[in-house]
Amino acid sequence: MAKLNNDQVSTIAWLACGGFIAWASLGYGLGSAASPGSGFITFLAGLGICFFALIGLAEASFRRGKETRWQPVLKGLEWKKAFLVMGALAAYAFLLSPLGFILCTALFVGFMLRAVKPQRWPAVLLGGILSALGTYGIFELWLKAQLPKGWLGF
Amino acid sequence: MGFQVALTPGNLFFCFVGVLIGTLVGVLPGLGPVAAISLLLPTTFHITPVSAVIMLAGIYYGAMYGGSTTSILVNIPGEAASVVTCLDGYQMARKGRPGPALGIAAFGSFIAGTLAVLGLMFVAPPLAEMALRFGPPEYFSLMIVGLTILTFLASGPMWKALLMACFGLFLGCMGMDTIMGTTRFTLDIVELSEGFGLVPVVMGLFGISEVLLNVEQTMERSVFATRIQNLFPTRKDWRDSIGAILRGSAIGFFLGILPGGGATISAFTAYAVERKLSRHPENFGTGVIEGVAAPEAANNSATGGAFIPLLTLGIPTSATMAILLGALVIYGTQPGPMLIKEHPSLFWGVVASMYLGNFMLLVLNLPLIGLWVKVLKIPYPILFPLILLFCLIGAYSLNNNVAQILFMIFFGFLGYLFKKFRYEAAPLVLAFVLGPMLEKALRRSLLHSGGDPTVFLTRPISAVLLGVAFVLLIFPLIPRFTKKRPAFGD
Repeated sequence: MAKLNNDQVSTIAWLACGGFIAWASLGYGLGSAASPGSGFITFLAGLGICFFALIGLAEASFRRGKETRWQPVLKGLEWKKAFLVMGALAAYAFLLSPLGFILCTALFVGFMLRAVKPQRWPAVLLGGILSALGTYGIFELWLKAQLPKGWLGF
Repeated sequence: MGFQVALTPGNLFFCFVGVLIGTLVGVLPGLGPVAAISLLLPTTFHITPVSAVIMLAGIYYGAMYGGSTTSILVNIPGEAASVVTCLDGYQMARKGRPGPALGIAAFGSFIAGTLAVLGLMFVAPPLAEMALRFGPPEYFSLMIVGLTILTFLASGPMWKALLMACFGLFLGCMGMDTIMGTTRFTLDIVELSEGFGLVPVVMGLFGISEVLLNVEQTMERSVFATRIQNLFPTRKDWRDSIGAILRGSAIGFFLGILPGGGATISAFTAYAVERKLSRHPENFGTGVIEGVAAPEAANNSATGGAFIPLLTLGIPTSATMAILLGALVIYGTQPGPMLIKEHPSLFWGVVASMYLGNFMLLVLNLPLIGLWVKVLKIPYPILFPLILLFCLIGAYSLNNNVAQILFMIFFGFLGYLFKKFRYEAAPLVLAFVLGPMLEKALRRSLLHSGGDPTVFLTRPISAVLLGVAFVLLIFPLIPRFTKKRPAFGD
């Protein structure tokens, strides 16, 4: 693995993905030339992915000079923060209905302000509450979007 | 008729909101027009289609205006099309002339934007008339050309762009097969029966992934400290730059019409042309006013040109246009040759709103420079939770379903991986939007021809279009064209 470069790794993943798409498309039926089936276009798309991934794999394998080895994509970066944000987004999705929009949003924004690059507590509290109320005003009251109320009823 | 529509208080308001938000996202590095339009798309479902398109178009051309401010004052392009403005704009600011640089960028953008709208007005109706003769085979071939040119113009290796286009085609065709009535690749998830929605896909790929990349590094900005004054260019500045503005407008307009041309390519081309035509090309990059005027005029003019293939043929020429196409379909209006006939108020209303929007931008850009400088100073750690929040609300309010948020997060992570491994999302989005139309055109063509695939070659327009696509595909194999190209973008 360590000897493969980034394009080799990604094209192998693409080959698997394209192969799966093409194989699964067969199950939907390719149809005939006069009446192509439901799986026809997705089958072609899967084959296309495999074809271009093979070209990429060949190009990455015969490449000389720089970028012939794996270039760490997370090296020197605070990548844990990106995953923290992803986790918070997923938590928001799962807590939105039970907690309701205002509470969930205030907690989400407050958490983001505090966890990624810590702001002072007054800024965290004020930011969380104001952004929740502000967006509620814009989306629920003005644009009539139906945001979830949650257990607490707001 | 157009002005009757555009001058209604509601449409004037949404035009103003659009250009204001556009300028704002243009000013803020890390948030381009594609992300902004994706973020705000769900909010437009609650207003009329005409107002919605007026606002979204305003964001697009407004971002081109706003992008110059960051390029000139911070040497960080607000969006991709303003990269080249950094070269001379920032140097002008360093030499104590940020005012004339900002001024000529605003005036140049205004002139170019207005000329492009005039061009749009005259070119679009006859082109739409001609396109009325297109049948499914011609549409299929046209879409193949669109995809080919777009992937050809993407930065990085061509195989990556084509691979992404294939993946986008697959994603676009997921869900209900409208011809056979069966569902495909839904994994028994009810929310996937209609396939992935455009909003979670673009919000994830452009909005969420951008935030994920930005939070893992510190974005330090130092705004130029000099007091900004004398925004009005001198007579000499005008003499030096008027030719560049007019040439930039023409280049931008024509490149904007071409699929894949876009604002970024236009700005680079206009800059290169000015440098070539200049008696002192060695001065470019040291702070010459033509180096600001030409690319700024070109990138604004390109936005007007880009509306021509979208509104007349239903073919998007860039990621932003693909999102606008998706938006029009969601609003129940099918872009294409019939749009001008079936929805004249939408077409002419949007055209007229562009005149007004360009004027609003001139008024916004010059007196509010100080405000935009202050906006630039908002720290990213405070800004990004709000961007995420807009993404979350936008995805949820699509159909009040948490599943859309999860889809968006999935595409956000996918976009993050794409960026890490240097795959561009733009060809994917274009193919995602064009995919269902392409499938329908292909299958209808084959159905009507009794399964004869030569139908694409025996019909003259279709054959010519496929020939163009073929030439474009083999073009990069010629060594002199495989040199590094400027980044794809709007």
